[in-house]
Amino acid sequence: MSSSTEPQVEDATREPPSPPSPTASFYDMSDDEEGGYSTIRHSKSGKGVKLLYTKSKVYVHPSPSARDNIPGYVAVMQQKPARDLIASPPTSPGSSSSVGRRAEINSLLLAWVPEKSLGEANTIYTKVESNDSGEPPKQSHLVPAPPVTTSHSSSVGAYAFAIPVTDIFSILVRPPNTGWWFGSIVINTRAGDSFPALFFHDSECQSTIDQRKKLQRENFSISGEDGEGMFWGGDEVIRWLKKFVTVERSSQEPSVYLIEPSESDRVGFGSAGKPTPDKVRNVLEGKHKDDPAQPRKGSVNDGDPVMKALKQARWSFLEKMSQVTTFTRRTAQAVAENKNLPPQVRRLMQDPQVQTVSDEFDSARLYLARWAMGIAEQSERERSQRIWTAKDMLEMEETGVGEFEVLDMEAQDLSLMDKRKPVTVEEWNGYFNVGTGVLEKTPDEVKDRIFHGGLDPDDSVRKEAWLFILGVYEWTSTKQERHAKMNSLRDEYIRLKGAWWERMLDEQGTLEEREWWKEQKMRIEKDVHRTDRHIPLFAGEDIPHPDPDSPFAEAGTNVHLEQMKDMLLTYNEYNRDLGYVQGMSDLLAPIYAIEQDDAVAFWGFVKFMERMERNFLRDQSGMRLQLVTLDQLCQLLDPKLYDHLQKVDSTNFFFFFRMLLVWFKREFSFPDILRLYETLWTDYLSSNFHLFIAMAILEKHRNVIIDHLKGFDEVLKYVNELSGTIDLPSTLIRAEALFRRFQRTVEAIDRKSSFPGMPKPELRQRLPVPPPTSPGVDGRPRRASQAATGSSAGASASGRAPTVGDHVAAGIGAQKEKVVTPELRALLSREVPKLDKQEVKDHGGGVGA
Amino acid sequence: MSSRKKILLKVIILGDSGVGKTSLMNQYVNKKFSASYKATIGADFLTKEVLVDDRLVTMQLWDTAGQERFQSLGVAFYRGADCCVLVYDVNNAKSFDTLDSWRDEFLIQASPMDPESFPFVVLGNKVDVGEDKRVVSGKRAMAFCQGKGGIPYFETSAKEAVNVEQAFEVIARNALAQEESQDFNPDFPETIPINIGEQNQGCNC
Repeated sequence: MSSSTEPQVEDATREPPSPPSPTASFYDMSDDEEGGYSTIRHSKSGKGVKLLYTKSKVYVHPSPSARDNIPGYVAVMQQKPARDLIASPPTSPGSSSSVGRRAEINSLLLAWVPEKSLGEANTIYTKVESNDSGEPPKQSHLVPAPPVTTSHSSSVGAYAFAIPVTDIFSILVRPPNTGWWFGSIVINTRAGDSFPALFFHDSECQSTIDQRKKLQRENFSISGEDGEGMFWGGDEVIRWLKKFVTVERSSQEPSVYLIEPSESDRVGFGSAGKPTPDKVRNVLEGKHKDDPAQPRKGSVNDGDPVMKALKQARWSFLEKMSQVTTFTRRTAQAVAENKNLPPQVRRLMQDPQVQTVSDEFDSARLYLARWAMGIAEQSERERSQRIWTAKDMLEMEETGVGEFEVLDMEAQDLSLMDKRKPVTVEEWNGYFNVGTGVLEKTPDEVKDRIFHGGLDPDDSVRKEAWLFILGVYEWTSTKQERHAKMNSLRDEYIRLKGAWWERMLDEQGTLEEREWWKEQKMRIEKDVHRTDRHIPLFAGEDIPHPDPDSPFAEAGTNVHLEQMKDMLLTYNEYNRDLGYVQGMSDLLAPIYAIEQDDAVAFWGFVKFMERMERNFLRDQSGMRLQLVTLDQLCQLLDPKLYDHLQKVDSTNFFFFFRMLLVWFKREFSFPDILRLYETLWTDYLSSNFHLFIAMAILEKHRNVIIDHLKGFDEVLKYVNELSGTIDLPSTLIRAEALFRRFQRTVEAIDRKSSFPGMPKPELRQRLPVPPPTSPGVDGRPRRASQAATGSSAGASASGRAPTVGDHVAAGIGAQKEKVVTPELRALLSREVPKLDKQEVKDHGGGVGA
Repeated sequence: MSSRKKILLKVIILGDSGVGKTSLMNQYVNKKFSASYKATIGADFLTKEVLVDDRLVTMQLWDTAGQERFQSLGVAFYRGADCCVLVYDVNNAKSFDTLDSWRDEFLIQASPMDPESFPFVVLGNKVDVGEDKRVVSGKRAMAFCQGKGGIPYFETSAKEAVNVEQAFEVIARNALAQEESQDFNPDFPETIPINIGEQNQGCNC
């Protein structure tokens, strides 16, 4: 059926852009004069096809930014039919003879033309638009023919297009939702292509406004065709088409209108039967798999179609998703009960906040963005249940994520798969000499295991292993030494605890100091009572509050909360230059939950804080440095995403503040945090591996961010709401892949810059201790206590405010030359950047000694 | 049927840690109270559509971390604010004493065109706790508000939804007035306060 029009189409596309055009109405010309004439041409002089219906203010949104929107006209046009010239205006399909009707249909085009390109034809468009008879104008209005195409290639929006109506498979229709979105349609061709969504800005469109008024006058209603919702521009397009062709609304997908459906199309979409994932996918893809005319793209289609659709990553995709959204809202209950949906989508469906959205802050876009992500994740899950094939890996690689690299690595060395098994207490004990308790493996081997496999959450291995990776115990110590160390640490804890206790009782120190202590105590009290209370350990309120004046006196407390308060006050005593700062309680809770011994947990926390101190300085210099480093990392690894973030004013990376401050504590579940923290504590690849975790999270959502988010507030909201939806195992793999890619990039840049003539001599410096590629070779413990003063790690730890020059240097600078800044180079170091005491004194914000 | 530009009102909620900023916001937007909100880290916001004198406006309510040291990085979202809500806990004298510095800090960071007339609203929260625990009297709070040029004052309970709706109605109204007064002031390009803000940030480095 569609093949009959194809020669015409090809003619059109092959024609040179500006052949001489008929100057008068083509209806005046004889068939002979036209010869092999195809009316579909670019034409300068302005006559070509007959404009039957049109509507203005129909936009293409080529980017998420409203600034880029292109206004245009949607139109039904009639080109000169090849044989049977239809001189009279078309009548309803039923009354035409079948031959005549076929010819008539073959001559029809559904087109979109940008306003700008109209030129003189502008007045004709305006005139035809204002024709409100519901029938095509009696008089012939000829306008230049837009280029006819059946496939939508790459560039969205800048150019007009016209699609032979016979080549249209379906039209996805999303009616407007006041305050949510503009109504839109997406044209899917029989070749399986989707054209960019056309958005009907009804409030700007005079004809729609007039038609609404008219409807109101005549029917006392402004309902559209289907009686659902307000009449809008898209209704009109469907009405036009119905005059010429069979338009059948799918009962499966109420927002899909099938154009001239075949019998198999009807079976697939039109009539009864439950929607199957396959059908939904077909609709998403804009095609029908039973259609024999459907060109099969070979094995490409064997890949996950949803994944493929996602990878197209263009604006029309949003429309496809929105089609699903509409579908879902209509069967909201059924879907909410569907266990297969990603949890965040289900949660969203039940979230009343989804209702409280508006145009200005277009939550609808966020909503859809999350939907898109949800579907992608589901697809990914299905995918991961299968064996990875090389093709899958390549596809992953194309997405820019690069899990492929790690997976490929593992495919080569299957023993690496064993590394991803958690370390059990038996395995852990096996690392040590039975007699002396000295580690018999290299620390790197152990770290490698913990980094890749984690520690078994179901046995007691964390209790001891954490003290090693936190640095409370030396890797080289004997059992006896550790015993002695712990004893002295316990004594020291009791001493410190006594010190602040006395301070409280005796009201020692200056007035200012006493004030500070009072405030800090209050702060700790408040925060502990709202830290991880959903964990059974911290949930109870089974003992009376020791302080009847506490705001929590009525609620009561439990022994673990009281221990938490003691430890934090003791830390406040131990590090008076900094003191307790909000967020620290989040960092202590996991350690305490594992150790469940206040003295032991305290020293674990002290070690953790050595590396986290910089996050809590009064001047925020440490946080700023990390955000800047993340900025540079993004520039280097994903310039396209960076570009977008720049456009939406988000390169301050403030939206990662929470994740970096408390190491993703608010993003992951408590059990996941335990696994994440032990991974990060190993410093196995980088002492700043948390920045690669952040990049991995960002990368996962890059397409959604690029496609849908167009303001700082939207990015912040989107990223904040990732909380509870991030899959840890895949994030860890992605982060590792990103690290390896970063490492290779730096090496490549260094190789390049070691050629003579490079302007920046400092870039030729040797990498500071690159992690060994085959772990465990050098095997020497890197003592975490060695402050990396003077090295780049030390420099970065100093919290030096990066200059503008740094920013420029970091990424795709003037000559698109990738440059490795000191901040980035520090990411290759496994030395934990620590502040020296003076630094903390100067910027800590505590009361000092 | 001209489409009037939709109005977005940006409201910043400030105050000491634990006075109930997040709770007030959630009570107003979601009609929910939870005793188990975590301490806010970084910043977040909620949106709510409301009618102010037949005009549909969207309020974007920004919630921030209460500990003062976290304010310096957050200037980005102070910009373009239409109203600032200062919250204290009526049972905590310190949280009342710091209101003044919260106000000053906001004016410095946000640099509104006319600081004198910039709308603030003060909320004394947690009035449900009980008179025996209360340390800041309504009189004292109102005197403070009078002294600052007549800032509207409400005593609220996010927990029991007391006065929350009323307070935010005034917040919305004042924010809308502020937004519109800025629209009628073409003499001041929007870039001016932004530049000032960035200079401030630069000095902190």
